[in-house]
Amino acid sequence: MTPLLKTDALEIRTAERQLVEPLSIELYPGRVLTIIGETGSGKSLFAQGVVGNLPAGLHAHGRVHFANGFTEEGREDGRKKLWGRELSVLPQEPWLSLDPTMRALPQVVESYTHVAGRTSSDARQQARTDLKRLGLEGAETRFPFQLSGGMAQRLAFAATHAGGAKVIIADEPTKGLDSARIGEVIALLQAGLAEGGALLIITHDIEVARQLGGDVMIMLKGKIIETGTADDVLNNPQHEYTRVLLGADPTRWSPRKRPRPQGESVVTVSELTAERGGKTLFENLSFDVRPGEIVGVTGPSGCGKSSLGDIILGLAKAKAGKVAHAAGARRVAFQKLYQDPVAAFPPTITLGRNLVDLVRLHRLDASRIEGLMTRLRLDSVLLDRLPGNVSGGELQRFSLLRVLLLDPVFIFADEPSSRLDLITQKEMIELLVEAADKNGTAVLLVSHDEALVDAVSDQRIHLGTDVPSSQPHLPQRTALAANV
Amino acid sequence: MTRLLTFRLMQAVMVAVLVGALTFLLMSLLPGDAAYRIAAGRYGYDMVNSAAADAVRAELNLDGPVLSRFAAWIGDLLTLDLGHSLVSGEPVLAVVAHELGGSIRLAVGAVLLSFIIGPALGIMAGLRPGGLLDRGLLLVSTAIRAIPHFVLGVLLVLVFAVTWRLLPSAGYGTFAHSILPTLTLALGLSAVSSRVARDATVGVASSAFYAFGRLKGLSGFSVFVRHGLRNIGVPVVTYLGVQLVYLIEGVVVVETLFAWPGIGHGLVHAVFHRDVPMVQGTALAMGLLFVLLNTFVDLANHLIDPRRRDA
Amino acid sequence: MSFDMTVADATSPPKSMARLFGLGVFVLLVLFAVLVPMFWPLDIAKQDYSAILSSPSDAHPLGTDHLGRDMLARLASAVRLSLGLALVSVVTAAIPGVLLGILAAWKGGVVDKLLGLLTEMFLALPGLLLVLLIVAVFPGSFLALYGAVALVLWIEYFRMTRALSRTVLASPAVAATRLLGFGPLYVIRRHLLPELLPVLLTIAAFGAASAIMAIAALSFVSVGVKPPTAELGLMITELLPYFSEQPFVIAAPILVIFLIILSLMLIAGGRKP
Repeated sequence: MTPLLKTDALEIRTAERQLVEPLSIELYPGRVLTIIGETGSGKSLFAQGVVGNLPAGLHAHGRVHFANGFTEEGREDGRKKLWGRELSVLPQEPWLSLDPTMRALPQVVESYTHVAGRTSSDARQQARTDLKRLGLEGAETRFPFQLSGGMAQRLAFAATHAGGAKVIIADEPTKGLDSARIGEVIALLQAGLAEGGALLIITHDIEVARQLGGDVMIMLKGKIIETGTADDVLNNPQHEYTRVLLGADPTRWSPRKRPRPQGESVVTVSELTAERGGKTLFENLSFDVRPGEIVGVTGPSGCGKSSLGDIILGLAKAKAGKVAHAAGARRVAFQKLYQDPVAAFPPTITLGRNLVDLVRLHRLDASRIEGLMTRLRLDSVLLDRLPGNVSGGELQRFSLLRVLLLDPVFIFADEPSSRLDLITQKEMIELLVEAADKNGTAVLLVSHDEALVDAVSDQRIHLGTDVPSSQPHLPQRTALAANV
Repeated sequence: MTRLLTFRLMQAVMVAVLVGALTFLLMSLLPGDAAYRIAAGRYGYDMVNSAAADAVRAELNLDGPVLSRFAAWIGDLLTLDLGHSLVSGEPVLAVVAHELGGSIRLAVGAVLLSFIIGPALGIMAGLRPGGLLDRGLLLVSTAIRAIPHFVLGVLLVLVFAVTWRLLPSAGYGTFAHSILPTLTLALGLSAVSSRVARDATVGVASSAFYAFGRLKGLSGFSVFVRHGLRNIGVPVVTYLGVQLVYLIEGVVVVETLFAWPGIGHGLVHAVFHRDVPMVQGTALAMGLLFVLLNTFVDLANHLIDPRRRDA
Repeated sequence: MSFDMTVADATSPPKSMARLFGLGVFVLLVLFAVLVPMFWPLDIAKQDYSAILSSPSDAHPLGTDHLGRDMLARLASAVRLSLGLALVSVVTAAIPGVLLGILAAWKGGVVDKLLGLLTEMFLALPGLLLVLLIVAVFPGSFLALYGAVALVLWIEYFRMTRALSRTVLASPAVAATRLLGFGPLYVIRRHLLPELLPVLLTIAAFGAASAIMAIAALSFVSVGVKPPTAELGLMITELLPYFSEQPFVIAAPILVIFLIILSLMLIAGGRKP
């Protein structure tokens, strides 16, 4: 069988430096090749090298061959003619990839008329059929801003697929999606496969690679360190890094089985009901949080997970119900870790300045900082940086440092690791768990990642209706089996 | 949409009240007998005698409290009872209606001409940021923006009318008369709209949807026509709203410089001669024209950008 | 031509360089306005019919106008008038504008709604028209002129301050800071001011430019500053008929007003927000 697309020692580099080592891949009809790697590993650059849309200043060397006989040296750009026809790209951020001023249907129709060369009426009919098949019936005349993220993703798929290309390249197609959405995208990609397409998937999400099957490559610092079928590599990794990477996947974490901590509750929530824009998020929710306990909150996006934490902290208002803090606890002993740590710091002052301000305000013991920095693996050079110039993982650990200085009794961690790579995520969560264990701080951990929450929580709350359950009405509250 | 029009309508009423209040103040502060002046404003200087003045005094309750006089003043204004010019004796409404035509011709001509010059150059510059055209345009547009309207007009007159004697320096009637005033306003507008279009083009051309259009397989030209133009148009039209202020202010100065018979010229003339009814009429017309043009920009925005329709 | 953008990483000419250049020109103009009267104390209204429209000479380094008045002294006086007016009206407008803007953003609710509505209504009238009407009511009054310009300018400060403060105050960064126990003053000092100051500088520079242009335009059409005051717009209108006789004389005020506006625009940087 001939491959639909094949690279021959394709290398990505700047004028001075190699970014991705020469790599040869072959994409066959009905097969998937997934390249797994962390941020900065070079996996996206390789995909762009294959497509031929590298950012300015970067070059590809080597060859790219197509099934139709077209061969090109990587550095040329004749491949632009094949875009949409031989090679289609599923965009990473579908909302931003659709023309904001054009209705849904014409964005697909134009692929049929301008790329596939169909007549206008034929194209419209075909586009309607496509949208119907993808469950977008009734959305034909909507503008992208009127579509949900999942709908936009499907529309983008239809638009890029209409050109008739067999090779589909998708860079992080599931980025920022919750589990239900991820399933949708995978189904979409598998539909492409079933039609005899070939897939090149770039992802950091091991679960996505596992579900898609096919072949897998692990990339580290521009180099492929392990190759094989998804089953082999993901179940029986050979390289040390692959083992660490797979071990960092929350599904592989060893669950923290232990009895529920004892002690006076630091937070008691009784019959809490919350609304957003007239829509009920959850009602009559009751639970309590004990010192050192980790309470996991899961649910799809928009279910009110974060609102729950904000209500407990007094940052948002509940419609009904009560939140009681432990008697005698100071106001600043209730803290929050933000999903996007950069947005949680004053942007124009250094981290050190911020810390000094905090120490002065509360007359804290500044000598504790050094010990905490060591424990949180933070280098002191970070103190001279602005929050925008620090990596996500480091800044989130710094947020934890800032919070721990105040000896908190309760931390609301709002998706604290959702923007981090797997290994960095594991590190972060472990530090959070350590804080709970060592200092007896209670943690309300909100996450869309159920495996992660399962692995570390003492008590678990699930919001939303998406998961089949014995209690069909809102909210469901499920305590972990071990603690019931 | 309804909210938007209601807002503009409120603005129009606000214009009337503000203009009315200021001209009322102007009238009250003028030396001499107010009743006599108002009577002159209504019937012309030739027709005024003390009987007419007394009638006005009684009708407007001029010896009464300020508030009731003010209410009567605004009432007249809102019913478009604008009186007669103190200088020429002509009815204000008729003069303003005539002048408005001249101003609209000038303003519309300038906006259209600026649309041919500004966005076109801006888009070409934006497709090659950092290129020769881009850098040249930045230099020229910065320089033009630093020249006040009247100086730009003076420079054009000095070059085209005085030195080269190609065009008339002032007046109205032939097409040649309209070239310099229109060009003065249009150049000022283009200096800004070219930058807006340039930045919008850079933004759109580096956007994800523009790149995706290419990846779908559309040619560079198709992507530009189908996904570029309209999205570039959104900020250009939005910014036109901001530019209207400059347009209206420019009309005042440029009409005066070129002796163009429009409301700007009329207003300046009336202020100079302290012709209160004419000040009121022209200022009112100008303010309402501004609100009306703003409404058109709103509607254009509404048409071009679907995201605004919900707002 | 190509419709793909060719240079993705193209950078515009360094902004800070332009700003520095603008600042340099502006400082020179200020020095010109301040130093000339000290070293060249000629009366700006003194007419000398023996030297009408004369070319630059030792007695008149920049020549004389149509009434034989010394151009150097008149230009310096005009720049002083323009810059002084700009300074006073910009400062007068900034104080209530910024304070009310922060107040509206902080308090929200009725205060915010009322102030917002008030300013939006004010915007119904183009600024120059409002100034023109006020000047018509109080002819020849400098105070009215300053006041009218400030009345137009404060709205811009208010609107920008309100909008920016609202975004900043609603940001998670401020929520985080408050949660850590910091008070409102800290939020203003560490969050609000660093974001506000550069924008306020831009508004101030644009405001100064438009104030100067408005006064010059009104004087140009003979409804602003009255003769024999030296004012740039008035000088241009007075000298216009004598261009053929002595082009140099009218070129001077034109160049000066161009330099003033250019320097302010370069200091402001970019476009009106």
